[in-house]
Amino acid sequence: MIEARGITKTFGGRGGLLGTQPVAALRGVDFVLPSGGAVSFIGESGCGKTTLGRILCGMEQVDSGQLLVGGTDLARLPQRERAALLRRVQMVHQDPYSALNPTRTVRQVLEDPLALRARQLRRGRDWVESRAVELLGLVGLDPAYCLSLYPHTLSGGMRQRLVIARALTVDPDVLVADEAIAMIDVSLRLGILALLRQLRSELGVSVLFITHDVAAARYVGADGQLYVLYRGQVVEHGPVDAVISSPMHPYTQCLLSAIPVLRGLEEPAAEQLMPIAGLDAGHEPPGCLFADRCPNAEDDCALSRPTLRDAKEPGHRHACLHPRPRQVVAVPLAPDARPSGPP
Amino acid sequence: MRTNSASLSSPTATTAQSVTVPGEVPGAEIRGLKVVFQTPAGPMPAVNDVDLDLPLGTITGLVGESGSGKSTLALAMMNAVPKPGHIAAGSIRLPSVTDMTRLQGKALRLARGTALGYVFQASQNSLNPLKRIGAQLLDLGRAHGMEDKGALLRHARELCERMGLDPVRTLSAYQHELSGGMRQRVGIVFALILNPSVLVLDEPTTALDMISQRTVLDIIRYVQRERHLATLIITHDIAIVADLADYLVVMYGGRVVEKGPTRHVLQRAAHPYTEGLIAAIPRISGDIDRAQPLPGRPPDLLSIPRQGCVFRERCAFAIDQCSVQTPGLMPVRVTRRHDALEEDSALLDGQVAACHVRAPAPSAKVST
Repeated sequence: MIEARGITKTFGGRGGLLGTQPVAALRGVDFVLPSGGAVSFIGESGCGKTTLGRILCGMEQVDSGQLLVGGTDLARLPQRERAALLRRVQMVHQDPYSALNPTRTVRQVLEDPLALRARQLRRGRDWVESRAVELLGLVGLDPAYCLSLYPHTLSGGMRQRLVIARALTVDPDVLVADEAIAMIDVSLRLGILALLRQLRSELGVSVLFITHDVAAARYVGADGQLYVLYRGQVVEHGPVDAVISSPMHPYTQCLLSAIPVLRGLEEPAAEQLMPIAGLDAGHEPPGCLFADRCPNAEDDCALSRPTLRDAKEPGHRHACLHPRPRQVVAVPLAPDARPSGPP
Repeated sequence: MRTNSASLSSPTATTAQSVTVPGEVPGAEIRGLKVVFQTPAGPMPAVNDVDLDLPLGTITGLVGESGSGKSTLALAMMNAVPKPGHIAAGSIRLPSVTDMTRLQGKALRLARGTALGYVFQASQNSLNPLKRIGAQLLDLGRAHGMEDKGALLRHARELCERMGLDPVRTLSAYQHELSGGMRQRVGIVFALILNPSVLVLDEPTTALDMISQRTVLDIIRYVQRERHLATLIITHDIAIVADLADYLVVMYGGRVVEKGPTRHVLQRAAHPYTEGLIAAIPRISGDIDRAQPLPGRPPDLLSIPRQGCVFRERCAFAIDQCSVQTPGLMPVRVTRRHDALEEDSALLDGQVAACHVRAPAPSAKVST
């Protein structure tokens, strides 16, 4: 559905009053998001995850590289057709509190875009209303209860469902979810993730999932691909569980080591890796971008920047000169090793 | 890293073991705390009838969603509940303060920071953007009548080093020059500079990415051990404290619905809410489809039931009694005990839950 080939994006660097240095947000990112598939991007703050999402939604332009939506190169299209194509990619933001206009009711939030859609499809007013009800039902909101309410009366989880319903009004092929559960109450998070899953299976919507939360990525797209971004470069990617269970790149290993262990339910992994230094985004080394923080760096890491190469399993690739697989994530304790609950 | 921290947990346990009852070295004791907000619809309790012990040398994780009253409880510990709220009942004893709720004016101002250190949720918002970090620390010392500036700065530098911050650079920096993780660590320096024995952290890792979160959690564990503090970590995410806290306290709708040793609460959650919260965590390994969403939505201040169990509307096990009688915290009975737990079960027992079905009062006969 979406194919990215060598996307690069650099911000700033015009010198100017503050003498800003250019910041490479994306350095030649390739990925393929198949129809109905899921691709998850993980990484630290400032790794380029959000920029990637914004590019996919047409909010940023690439500096170089190609972005193909449904096989068509966006850059080759005239503005009008590009906008029409990008309508098939909809974004679900992190903050459902600011993504909704507080002066519009749920009905208005949905019916405005639906009215446009009705014109395109040559449908009448009845269709708009029935579709609004249908979409609310689809995202798990009760239409009878919700339609006349204003967003401030809804909980965070309900708002995020409404934002997803609004994204669905234009029948998108792709949903870009940028930290879509970060601001949702914990008891409601899994409900949103389950909804994304359901949209994948029932409507065939592809999901590009941008997150800090690797376990959430695993829930939405266990059958999909996981991409690890570091300072704009994909340092490792592969099938979700392959990357989680045998990460090759030390940066991936550091990210996965940082996940808190559910003591009593999980057993910590034998090996843990932590970066030996903080992120210094101003430093632009000729070699591996992670070498200055890497606990395993060797002398040659500072000389040349490694590109993606194949790991053992098919489709699992990493960009490390001295890869060593490590099992760093906690494993669940066997159910019979745990005491049963109270009667 | 992990094995290291696991071995470090034993000194805490042995200290507590030597006194047999963990509550005997009280850091903070909260009794019958009730915080009420005056609203147009009448007084609304945001925190209701909360008893909480924070023993010295332990970390307690307070878990709750928005509207659970967890942040109000933390502010009440500083006697800093914002209007239109006020502490309606209860007492808060700290090692050097008989009752925080009775302090006023200068005495209250001096107690904040010296008796209890507080790390705010968004440290970037609690730091002055126009002053260097070091200058703000000196302000703090001056406000608490510390004469010896040199000693204060020495202590600050030492604390910075402990937290992996470059002391010279950090103290001469403005807050915008620091990353989110560094600001959070500076927040901890501020909270500890006056040597309190109780440390309260409100959502210390919200908005931090995975690696910064891990760094901050490791630091909390580290200073806790070094200073033998009574630490309270307030969070909405049970996974954050699952690795770190000795005790878990789960709040819902202004009430404590379950508390006990972390390991026990996680393994055999008795309250249906705790159980649902744990079941709703997607796991990093194992069968991902085991994760189950928790139905319903958390209550807000206006929709908290006044009578009966606060969770009953989302509860699959609710019985008639739940809408009539408010359940009290009752000991959770264990049917079977896992061998690996034997060593610390005597010390860490004491899991209680407020549920008519799962932890019935001894006299009550409940049929489900």
